[in-house]
Amino acid sequence: MRHHRYWMVKLALVVTLSLLTAGWVFADARGVTKDAVKLGLVLVKTGPVAALGLPNGQGMVDYMNYLNEQGGINGRKVEVIWEDDQFEAPKSVAAVKKLIHRDKVLSLITTGGTQQTIANLEQINEFKITNIPNALVREFFDPLQPYIFAMGATYEAQYQCIVDYIVHELKMKDVRIGVVYEKKEYGKISLDAIKERAAKYKIPVVAELVLPTGSVDASSQVMALQKENANVVITCTLLPATITFLKSGQKYNYWPTVFGFNWATDDMIVKACDEAAKNYIGVNFVGAWSDETPGIKLARELAKKNNREIGLTSLYINGVGVSWLFGEAMKRAGKDLSPESLKTAMETLKNYETGGVFPPVNYSSTSHAPGEMVKFFKADVPNKRLISISDWRKPKELK
Amino acid sequence: MESSLLYFLGLSVSGLAVGSLYALIALGFVLIYKATKIVNFAQGEAIMVAAFICYYLVTLFQISFWIALPLTMLLTGLLGVLSERLVLRPMLGEPVFSVVMVTIGLSIFLRSLAGIFFGHHNYVFPSPFPAEGLRVGGVVLSYTHLWSMLASFVLMLAFFIFFKFTNMGLSMRGTANDQDTVALMGVNVRRVFALTWGLAFLIAAVAGIFLANVMVLNVGLAFVAISAFPAMILGGMESVPGAIIGGLAIGLIENLAGGYLDQMIGGGVKDVTPFVVLFVILMIRPYGLFGQEEIERV
Amino acid sequence: MPIRSKTFNESYYEDIKLFRTIWIKFWAVIFVAALVLLPYFGDPYFVYLVNLSCLAAVAAVGLNILTGYTGLISLGHAAFVAIGAYTTANLANHLGTPFWINLPAAGLIAAVAGAIVGIPCLRLKGLYLAMITMSFGVLVEYVVITWEGLTGGVRGMSVPAISILGYKLSSDEQLYFFLIVITALLLFAANNITRTRVGRAFVAIRDRDVAAEAIGVNLTYYKVLSFAISSFYAGVAGGLYAYTIRHIHPDHFTLLLSIQYITMIIVGGMGSIVGSIFGAVFIVVVPEFIKLFAQASARVFPVLEGRYDEEWNIAAFGLLIILFLIFEPGGLYSIWNRIKIGFKNWPFTY
Repeated sequence: MRHHRYWMVKLALVVTLSLLTAGWVFADARGVTKDAVKLGLVLVKTGPVAALGLPNGQGMVDYMNYLNEQGGINGRKVEVIWEDDQFEAPKSVAAVKKLIHRDKVLSLITTGGTQQTIANLEQINEFKITNIPNALVREFFDPLQPYIFAMGATYEAQYQCIVDYIVHELKMKDVRIGVVYEKKEYGKISLDAIKERAAKYKIPVVAELVLPTGSVDASSQVMALQKENANVVITCTLLPATITFLKSGQKYNYWPTVFGFNWATDDMIVKACDEAAKNYIGVNFVGAWSDETPGIKLARELAKKNNREIGLTSLYINGVGVSWLFGEAMKRAGKDLSPESLKTAMETLKNYETGGVFPPVNYSSTSHAPGEMVKFFKADVPNKRLISISDWRKPKELK
Repeated sequence: MESSLLYFLGLSVSGLAVGSLYALIALGFVLIYKATKIVNFAQGEAIMVAAFICYYLVTLFQISFWIALPLTMLLTGLLGVLSERLVLRPMLGEPVFSVVMVTIGLSIFLRSLAGIFFGHHNYVFPSPFPAEGLRVGGVVLSYTHLWSMLASFVLMLAFFIFFKFTNMGLSMRGTANDQDTVALMGVNVRRVFALTWGLAFLIAAVAGIFLANVMVLNVGLAFVAISAFPAMILGGMESVPGAIIGGLAIGLIENLAGGYLDQMIGGGVKDVTPFVVLFVILMIRPYGLFGQEEIERV
Repeated sequence: MPIRSKTFNESYYEDIKLFRTIWIKFWAVIFVAALVLLPYFGDPYFVYLVNLSCLAAVAAVGLNILTGYTGLISLGHAAFVAIGAYTTANLANHLGTPFWINLPAAGLIAAVAGAIVGIPCLRLKGLYLAMITMSFGVLVEYVVITWEGLTGGVRGMSVPAISILGYKLSSDEQLYFFLIVITALLLFAANNITRTRVGRAFVAIRDRDVAAEAIGVNLTYYKVLSFAISSFYAGVAGGLYAYTIRHIHPDHFTLLLSIQYITMIIVGGMGSIVGSIFGAVFIVVVPEFIKLFAQASARVFPVLEGRYDEEWNIAAFGLLIILFLIFEPGGLYSIWNRIKIGFKNWPFTY
């Protein structure tokens, strides 16, 4: 008996001693050779969320391949390695580790959504991973995160623009706003932003209703909105729930003007809803698929050339735009490409135009904040698409 | 009519309409439970696959919806028989838990295959029903829901008769009660199982097509089945009328909670209410409202 | 003098001893040495996978005690993991207490929750039990999302790194040693629980609860105890998760996570501590192998080039569950046992 205890003590000792010895040295200079550069990409490819991740990542990959066909970046061909994180934070962290330590990529174009990027924050800083997350929360640029470049417009800014639009352009009397949101991060932030902005204009928010993705219908929400006589509905839900809401509204012959944010502003909404989308107005920080700007034209060509069957066109455009910025930064970093020089090059983008894909991009060494600019789009029901109805704009300055 | 009463009626009617969809899903669960004493976690995937099959029949092969519907039911039913033969049959006689787990494995497998073959886009199902609702005295009901209510009622009646009066129905009930004994009495247990799975998947097809009509069609459609769990339990896992009543009740409760409580005590109550009801019901009646209590002997 | 055969025990104590032969001791030492040296050979990615396996193993052992040993099915294990994670996060953030208070506290609070759920569940069995634990999981998810003051709601919550005597454990290797030690202690404890009266009572309940009661096992007490112990492990696993990922979010603790844990114990082996470890490692590591296999086959058959879809990973995962249940219901543990016995008896067949 004593004998067996003795063994346990020994094992414990060995393990404890090894605890004290730790340390890992990592050699730098990743992913860049004379004629190639490796980039990573972590975006969901499987499960229901893949509807968002796939077109986004395909846009990124297609644009990089397009650059390769143009002769590469400073003579280097870009290789993109795309890892799936199944939309789970632990798997996202694992994917980043794999890309950095196994594939030794220069950087990651994106590390995915909010949760995943936050879970990776330490690695991003430790390994100088310059990246553009496809999520828009304040933590990413305020205070400044040295390697995260925020793109687009925060949910706050998008909804401020929407409320501005309601007040200044909708020309409606006695506006009564109803909010339909999802109990997710974007939903909560958006709800608060709407309420704050509406209070400044002294417009009543008469109803706040939750509508989760995967709801079978939205009857109770529509009825509650009708009861409160809401004549403007602002949705803070992803595309499927927004579609469910519009269809339910049609069923009840309820026709308020419905607003939506970037995740729900896609041609898909008109394709899915048809007539039901006729009063839909959305904001987004990427151009519409139907735009005739050079950037969007290129996106359409790329999709055609690569035989992409794209569900959500806005996300494909977004992907093209993100790679566009990355490509430009790598070009500017020149021959001497490294994680640090990539970041510095990204910071030199001033009023940089992406041919109508994104609003003008501005970064500096002190600010990686997004432009906070959006365009408004409305449904073109006969052609089943969205069309732009405004230019890029920011929320109005209120005293 | 007074507006608050109208509001209540409106909520109730649309709740019952959604409930009829839950009832259809629950019916599939109950059928398999009734014959094999297991909960089929792949029911949601059957629903989703069926919706996709019907979608492709209608859009790709340009078949009219009313022909595609029975065709889909048939194909999905075959998938059910196939699943039973390949996955469930080898598990005959294994503990219930293992068999349930095999259905979880099947659900993961089918969901991924659907992702590979059908893609991850959001599809729009070409609905044969008019989008506008039917108005009866200020209360609105959509045609899709009307048809799904009708379908669940017809199916309930059909199964009631099937279980009560046909030989096969009797064999199924017997199999549920005691596999070994009915096998000794000359019932072909394997055939009973295969048929059960075929029928359950067939019902899933009906549910899937109706769901795809009101929702966006994507791989996530499979998760709707989870919302039907409370309906199945509430009615008691082995009662056909129980499934229908449970489904309708859950739809009703959910909608009323959404219409009244959501505004009062903060959002999201609508979706959690069915599970609260389930929790409470199981505490009071561990065998559901219509389930049979089992007496155990050593 | 008696002739010693391969398993020769002179007392009951020898029979239930942890290390029964010199060979087991030998392999144990080799194993520990390998564990200690591992981070010096593997890259951080590999080490991180091992860390994830440790987290999974702790939770899986907990579930195995409840489901594998006591025969109570739970589809709400993720809820207890969540309770543990949020307890740890709150203590570490608001009270600044060290890990050796936070982790046991996470376990204890989860255990209390487990006991509370366990009491009403006494009337339920089989699938009804699975359903009620599942709805408990949904309720906890709702509470986590709604009770923002405590959980950060849908924005999630950040957790500081573990510090031992002022020394912060933030790198994967440092965490690795910490996790290995904690996991080993917990597994050792679990192994002991299952060897004692308590463990035998659990098994009796699993095999036939009415009969167990007839021979004097207090069903109420042992079922609740099983729930509490299982939840304790889940809670500690949650605490460890919080310290490892350092950001917790309600999206992680869903029904899918509960199903993953069940998968682990099935693949690993129900009613086996070692099996839980096998299962956890298998589930974390196997997608890597599937991917390698896919890439290798793409090299051999150029037709497959570019056809690989990550969905195949998950499909294979589902298929593995099915195949294990059909062909190897005892899980990896029984394969392991067969190999072990094969070696032990070599060159004889038995």
